[in-house]
Amino acid sequence: MRPDDERYFARIEERLDEAWDVAETAKEQGRDPEPEIEIPVARDMADRVENILGIDGVAERVRDLEGEMSREEAALELVTDFVDGNVGDYDSREGKIEGAVRTAVALLTEGVVAAPIEGIDRVELLQNDDGTEFVNVYYAGPIRSAGGTAQALSVLVADYARSLLDVDEYKPRDVEVERYAEEIALYDKETGLQYTPKDKESKFIAKHIPVMLDGEATSDEEVSGFRDLERVDTNSARGGMCLVAAEGIALKAPKIQRYTRDLDEVDWPWLQDLIDGTIGKDGAGDGDAAEAEGDADGGDDADEDADPDAAEPEPAADEADGPPRAEPSQKFLRDLIAGRPVFTHPSEAGGFRLRYGRARNHGFATGGVHPATMHIVDDFLAAGTQIKTERPGKAHGVVPVDSIEGPTVRLANGEVRRIDDPEEAKAVRNGIEKVLDLGEYLVNYGEFVENNHPLAPASYAPEWWVQEFEAAGADVRALRDDPHVDLEHPTVDRALDWAREYDCPLHPEYTYLWHDVSVDAFEALADAVAAGEVVEGVLAIERTDAVRDALESLLVEHAATPDALRIPTWRPLARSLGIDDGLRKEWSEADLSTPARGYADGENAIRAVNEVAPFEVRERAPTRIGNRMGRPEKSESRDLSPAVHTLFPINEAGGPQRDVAEAANEMDDTGHRGRHELQVSDRVCPDCGEHTYAALCPDCETHTEPHYECNDCGTVCEPDEAGRVECPNCEWEVTAATYQEVDVNDAYRSALETVGERESAFEILKGVQGLTSRNKTPEPIEKGVLRAKNGVTSFKDGTVRYDMTDLPVTAVRPEELDVTADHFRELGYETDIDGEPLRHDDQVVELRVQDIVLSDGAAEHMLKTADFVDDLLEQFYGLDRFYEVNERDDLVGELVFGMAPHTSAATVGRVVGFTSAAVGYAHPYFHAAKRRNCFHPETEIEYQDDAGWHRKTIETFVEDRLDDPRTDDFGTLVEELDGAIEVPSIDERGNRSTQSVTAVSKHPSQDHLVRIETRRGRSIRVTPDHTMLRVVDGGIQKIAANELEVGDTVPLSPSQQNVPMDAATSTATDGRIKTDEVTSVSFLESDVEYTYNLTVAETHTLAANDLSVSQCDGDEDCVMLLMDGLLNFSKTFLPDQRGGRMDAPLVMSSRIDPSEIDDEAHNVDIVREYPLELYEASRELADPEEVEELIQIGEDTLGTDGEYHGFDHTHDTTDIAMGPDLSAYKTLGDMMEKMDAQLELARKLRAVDETDVAERVIEYHFLPDIIGNLRAFSRQETRCLDCGEKYRRMPLSGECRECGGRVNLTVHEGSVSKYVDTAIEVADRFGCRPYTKQRLKVLEQSLESIFEDDTNKQSGIADFM
Amino acid sequence: MPLESNARIAKALAERGYNAEREAVTLLAGATDPAAAVAAAVDCAPDDALRITADHVREAIADTDESAASPDEPGQSPVETEGSGDTGAGGTKAVSGAATTDAIDSTTADSAIADSTTAGSPPADSGTANASSADGDRARGSDLRELEVGNDMTGRSTGTGEYTDFVTTFRDRYERLSKILRGRVNHRPAEAIADMPGGSDAAMIGLVNDVRSTKSGHWLIELEDTTGTFPALVMKDKGLADVVDEILMDECVAVEGTLADDAGILFADSLHFPDVPRTHRPGGADRHVQAALISDVHVGSDEFMADAWHSFTDWLHTPEADPVEYLLLAGDMVEGVGVYPDQDEELEIVDIYEQYEAFAEHLKEVPADTEVVMIPGNHDAVRLAEPQPGFNDEIREILDVHDAQIVSNPATVSVEGVEVLMYHGVSLDEVIAELPEEKASYDEPHKAMYQLLKKRHVAPQFGGHTRVAPEERDYLVIEDVPDVFHTGHVHKLGWGKYHNVLSVNSGCWQAQTDFQKSVNIDPDAGYAPILDLDTLDMTVRKFS
Repeated sequence: MRPDDERYFARIEERLDEAWDVAETAKEQGRDPEPEIEIPVARDMADRVENILGIDGVAERVRDLEGEMSREEAALELVTDFVDGNVGDYDSREGKIEGAVRTAVALLTEGVVAAPIEGIDRVELLQNDDGTEFVNVYYAGPIRSAGGTAQALSVLVADYARSLLDVDEYKPRDVEVERYAEEIALYDKETGLQYTPKDKESKFIAKHIPVMLDGEATSDEEVSGFRDLERVDTNSARGGMCLVAAEGIALKAPKIQRYTRDLDEVDWPWLQDLIDGTIGKDGAGDGDAAEAEGDADGGDDADEDADPDAAEPEPAADEADGPPRAEPSQKFLRDLIAGRPVFTHPSEAGGFRLRYGRARNHGFATGGVHPATMHIVDDFLAAGTQIKTERPGKAHGVVPVDSIEGPTVRLANGEVRRIDDPEEAKAVRNGIEKVLDLGEYLVNYGEFVENNHPLAPASYAPEWWVQEFEAAGADVRALRDDPHVDLEHPTVDRALDWAREYDCPLHPEYTYLWHDVSVDAFEALADAVAAGEVVEGVLAIERTDAVRDALESLLVEHAATPDALRIPTWRPLARSLGIDDGLRKEWSEADLSTPARGYADGENAIRAVNEVAPFEVRERAPTRIGNRMGRPEKSESRDLSPAVHTLFPINEAGGPQRDVAEAANEMDDTGHRGRHELQVSDRVCPDCGEHTYAALCPDCETHTEPHYECNDCGTVCEPDEAGRVECPNCEWEVTAATYQEVDVNDAYRSALETVGERESAFEILKGVQGLTSRNKTPEPIEKGVLRAKNGVTSFKDGTVRYDMTDLPVTAVRPEELDVTADHFRELGYETDIDGEPLRHDDQVVELRVQDIVLSDGAAEHMLKTADFVDDLLEQFYGLDRFYEVNERDDLVGELVFGMAPHTSAATVGRVVGFTSAAVGYAHPYFHAAKRRNCFHPETEIEYQDDAGWHRKTIETFVEDRLDDPRTDDFGTLVEELDGAIEVPSIDERGNRSTQSVTAVSKHPSQDHLVRIETRRGRSIRVTPDHTMLRVVDGGIQKIAANELEVGDTVPLSPSQQNVPMDAATSTATDGRIKTDEVTSVSFLESDVEYTYNLTVAETHTLAANDLSVSQCDGDEDCVMLLMDGLLNFSKTFLPDQRGGRMDAPLVMSSRIDPSEIDDEAHNVDIVREYPLELYEASRELADPEEVEELIQIGEDTLGTDGEYHGFDHTHDTTDIAMGPDLSAYKTLGDMMEKMDAQLELARKLRAVDETDVAERVIEYHFLPDIIGNLRAFSRQETRCLDCGEKYRRMPLSGECRECGGRVNLTVHEGSVSKYVDTAIEVADRFGCRPYTKQRLKVLEQSLESIFEDDTNKQSGIADFM
Repeated sequence: MPLESNARIAKALAERGYNAEREAVTLLAGATDPAAAVAAAVDCAPDDALRITADHVREAIADTDESAASPDEPGQSPVETEGSGDTGAGGTKAVSGAATTDAIDSTTADSAIADSTTAGSPPADSGTANASSADGDRARGSDLRELEVGNDMTGRSTGTGEYTDFVTTFRDRYERLSKILRGRVNHRPAEAIADMPGGSDAAMIGLVNDVRSTKSGHWLIELEDTTGTFPALVMKDKGLADVVDEILMDECVAVEGTLADDAGILFADSLHFPDVPRTHRPGGADRHVQAALISDVHVGSDEFMADAWHSFTDWLHTPEADPVEYLLLAGDMVEGVGVYPDQDEELEIVDIYEQYEAFAEHLKEVPADTEVVMIPGNHDAVRLAEPQPGFNDEIREILDVHDAQIVSNPATVSVEGVEVLMYHGVSLDEVIAELPEEKASYDEPHKAMYQLLKKRHVAPQFGGHTRVAPEERDYLVIEDVPDVFHTGHVHKLGWGKYHNVLSVNSGCWQAQTDFQKSVNIDPDAGYAPILDLDTLDMTVRKFS
């Protein structure tokens, strides 16, 4: 580590220590549940791994191997240690394998999740039919939290260990192979997989996998065929197995392949077929053909390198086939939904052009888009907006980069121009008739490495040209220094001279997209140009459609008059057409060779150009990258829903608002105010023995300890070392929670008094209905008072949080961060990226790894938090204020905690500036440090244990989906299968019934639920922190369920929540265009063990489409103010459920060790210039590994002095916050408005087929919604409007059996038929296929058939006669 | 007999070292002197040929046997059942040259030609078959025919999807089914039972509201009538556990027993289903006339077995099929659109109307004077919720052949005194899923049908798989005991009698689909159960 880096970390740690000391002093007062700071500083990963596994010697080995190799390699290396008995104390072979497998998973998850322990039940040796032994790995549901890579690697490790131990391969029986396929499909239907392998793929995997994947049943749903197999214990779906096979092996095949290649003992040649995606495509079906193919590949090592190309057209293919191109892929378009526009259809001309490079705010699952393009696409793109892409990964976060080419548009007056200035884009955008080209799309080389995707042919760009220019003998250095020469944008004369003098390809500035026009069009254009005339330096040619189309395809800027097209910059065009400056065509048709004519069937004129042009002309934009919008960006405070100021329970006394003051005022039967029977912890004062719920003894002000008394026998118990408390007599767990009568009034008033605030200091103080922690330890109300005063709310663990979409940035300008060079110098920055002293605000400075940029919203929120913390220190703890902030500049240099979803470790970051983009910019290493490998947001959602699924996961699930409530309000009941999908559900009495839904996740219920009822008789019970939608001024607003008030208009719910399931917690799927009115909001004790969460297909497919890169794009990480975390976080507040400790800062890393972070960030390239070889290799669709040596990526500097700096970039951008601040998706109104905008944009973009967009919206959004609702209607349950009682079937008496009240349907005609008309109209307007129209028509008739009375129809005039 | 002659011919050719096209074998079998024809065909074949083709045979037959029956000569039965095998004399002559149902098997020479199974059917009357020749000449009993449709709700759907519609439907179900049970137990309303003193005997008829097992292994059944609900406890040692297994939600049952001491629960002694009385005596036609019961044609699907269908319709033109005057189709005429995701990729005909047009074309192959009745299934272009009304006018126009009766699903068809209950059978999936394997399985679909008969309701369970459209009455109730219960949907062939009611699940005309493959279902495709309306005996003919 360089001294400079040392100083940097020392500075951070110094400030940390400062805060630590203050917090320690405060905590020692004993006013909090624990008298000490509860966030320990994390030790290294090796220790965590060893501790979680309980296998001695692992940590030591891990430390040895660390730095030498990647964690995956280390995991494989450890296999030998286990097999040889060097590590672990295992005698049996299965034990050794088990140890190795667990260690591998632990290593890859860095010892922070339970997957290695709970996710792998056991490893056993079983017998093949031929008498040989094979390995069976028995997985359990929690393996999910390991993520695909670790899951897949666990299999590889097991196989490796197997081969070292001389155990034979697993030889599946045919029935077992079939069983895998059916079971995986079943599991997907029921629970949902991120990636659903086709049956053929499943079978292929099952057939070839060398160890048996087995597991425990995770659901009640049973397979219908292939039951009662001898070697499979259960007929139910084995969730762990399904996850490993689908999300592990199938999804991560490319990653795994990298490791199998390095191992001699392990050979999985069949992975190639999975990667190529040929399984299931070829008609061979049973995989035999594929198998043979796979074997061939494996047998012939020479083929290995060519393998990745197998999916692509052969580079050496017949000339007539045209140039090598990356194969178009439709995948990213799957499950397109209304309101999220498509920008480019797969590899379609006119779409985003792939350019290689890394901008300074780029390179971690991101794609650089010109800010002008962002405006041109009607502002649908903004910094941080997630898009689904065709390649190289599945999804990207959009970053603004203005050093690439902008879009080319045709204006209403016929003028075609390229727009490289966002301001110009805004100015002309209303006059745009057609977007001919979306401009360039910057992808860094590391993305291809990360995704193991073959390089796609590069756009011809100045950085490539200049290297060829240099190679051709030009003195580039001198030209660079020449102030009169612009190498990027040379003048026409110079460009033509250079091409001639140096025999170098024509400069990209004047290279047109010849590959997009046919040879015929090329000839026609040549003739037209030859027949044109030059007036005042402008070439005017006759205006014909063909010529115009050709010019537009070529992206030649021109103006149009009624009968002429005027081309100002015409000389390079004419030259390329083989026409000299005198407009003399120097060739005739016969001069064109046959290969040139027949190239790509005559659809590509590039060869023709090269035959007639006096210089070489390169393909300008051979690769177009298809993409569509995914999730919008996010930047908002993380509030529990309902928002909570203090973690103090008030039962239902606070009303729907959970107003503590109201609870304090409520009078009971005896005339006392504010006395409530609360479930809180029983604590005892060690000095005077007084019992209280408070952390401080009311009598002697001593810190109290929890008091554990067995409910049954009254024994007072003590916690053991692990913190568990068990009654020695009754042998059950004992908690300190008891029901006590608490004088909330007194507590509230004295809290106000303690901090010296009056009730007028805040609008409302919200408490919680009940505590979810094990011991029900309440927080001092004082903290809530001060939070309310400062306008912040608390997360479940007592911290104040703010969520932001992650974007990477490796170099910044102080100016763009709204700070000055002075600020930066104070922070220890001395030089800019070129080593020049930092003097000016606009110098580009390399960002340090733990420095972060807050969004404006986050800064504001942090200011409020700082005020809160200061008030807390001063008014509650009686200490000095710590932050003393007045304006946001004061936040610069302050420390925060950064946390990623689903993790339990926080990383310390330092604020260096602010951005108007709604994202959190930070060093890629900082983002990666917060994460653990492959934690998909969805991955851990359905984290299952014996008790069911985690509640925490609902939140995350909801979080993930709530950034697009409009989608949900459209009711994205996009179930993939129209066929009935059924899951077991549990009703109020605990009885099972089978219910039909599209896809669900189920969760243990919270202690309390919110029930919302509406006028139309629908009602919904959701968890209190569930976000609902409310219609305000025609728009739809997010609102916490408990904040909904009687009289609020809520959008009508879609079918999801109508599906007759108990306690259906629809996840924000209740938005509707049609509205309903809330008639009651009530809180009730949860009486069910589970709540069900319907997985909207969107989420599904997000997951499915996210695949390997999902964790980086659009993941919302959160920040907390350091002191807030130190003071207010307590584990005792965390919910007493498995997973409750997720998302809580259980440990903190004060400095980032680049070797220990998620290795995805290691694949960020850090060079200033890509070598010529990269561009050349890209034309051959080479594997990225081929040029790996030539391009430095983060991985290369790990463990060296340079690991913290030297992150160079190839492209600059003027400002990292360019483009719209918010995506139009967020600013547009209702769903219809968004969909109209989406379709309108589709019409405008040349690269988009609007019919296909309409078709897909109908197919993936409308039809499933209608079908799903229709199905739900005909099997719905009913509910009493008066008492809320639910009935599986309509009571025969017609009225409520409980209260005699009115019973009504939960799914009405309105929710079923709402989109039919729109869908039909869209289908007509956009000329959808008859198939789609007919489906709609059949559905429409079905609706009529159900909802209309045949005998009441007036079919004609005759009815009136 | 042709069965042997085909086999023998194949064998004879094999002995001479030749393989043969099946058409060739058929042609040879159709020759007046097969042995000579075989010899001639072999002579005729080029020396290097390994396979005797139809062309060779035609050539040979033309050479040697000018008088042989022309392959297309009508009036000769291409199909034989086992029973008709002993018609002796005309045997060889009866085999005409047309591609026959048995052709596939004949080439393999080792399996029976007429792959027919019989349910104790009498031999088909080949005598009459020989008597009549062409379609036009056939004297079929048009004027003797009687066909009446009951329980058809087409055009009478009055439900508007309101809550009250649902209540009406279930009430109607309760009233009509409880009526059947009322004679057997002394029913008291739930309300009244609740007021009875503990220990008294009581009985209740109600819709099953809930069934669950208790911790101790007993069963708790909650029954509901119009006054409320009441729980009944079935002790595990009462011998009723087996019965409890059969209970589906929302069916109507009667429970008899003793009230607990606190009068809060009824200890069940016996449990009754509405059931079909054992004394049921089915009706029958006065003459020998037959009906073909088929379903699940799935025209438009890639897997539609056109050849099998042609064989079937060809056969219908043979004298042997003369008595087949009725064709009953239990749903899924076409493959439909949007029935499952990405269905268009597996459709041969993507347009739904063209599917029906194609189906109409296929239906035209059926002798013109056949009476056709059809109900929709879940693949047809009507609502999925049951009862499903018959097709709309647009499709009716397309299906304007045979003057077919297009009625709702379910519907009862009274054919010359035989009551046939036609139901597509979507609920069978659920019955099979819910009940123990020995009581209902895909391999024995008729057993699942017995359950429906027992419950006297074609789709009792609400809220699950089956979709319900509320109407003013519950059209799904089996109020009158049918003589024949005809379903399809599960694509498996199965039949049997339950309390004298013949239950038939006809197979299908669609080969195994990828989906079926994935769930290990092997459909019975290309079968046509032929029902004798006078005796209610059934013959199943195979055409694939």
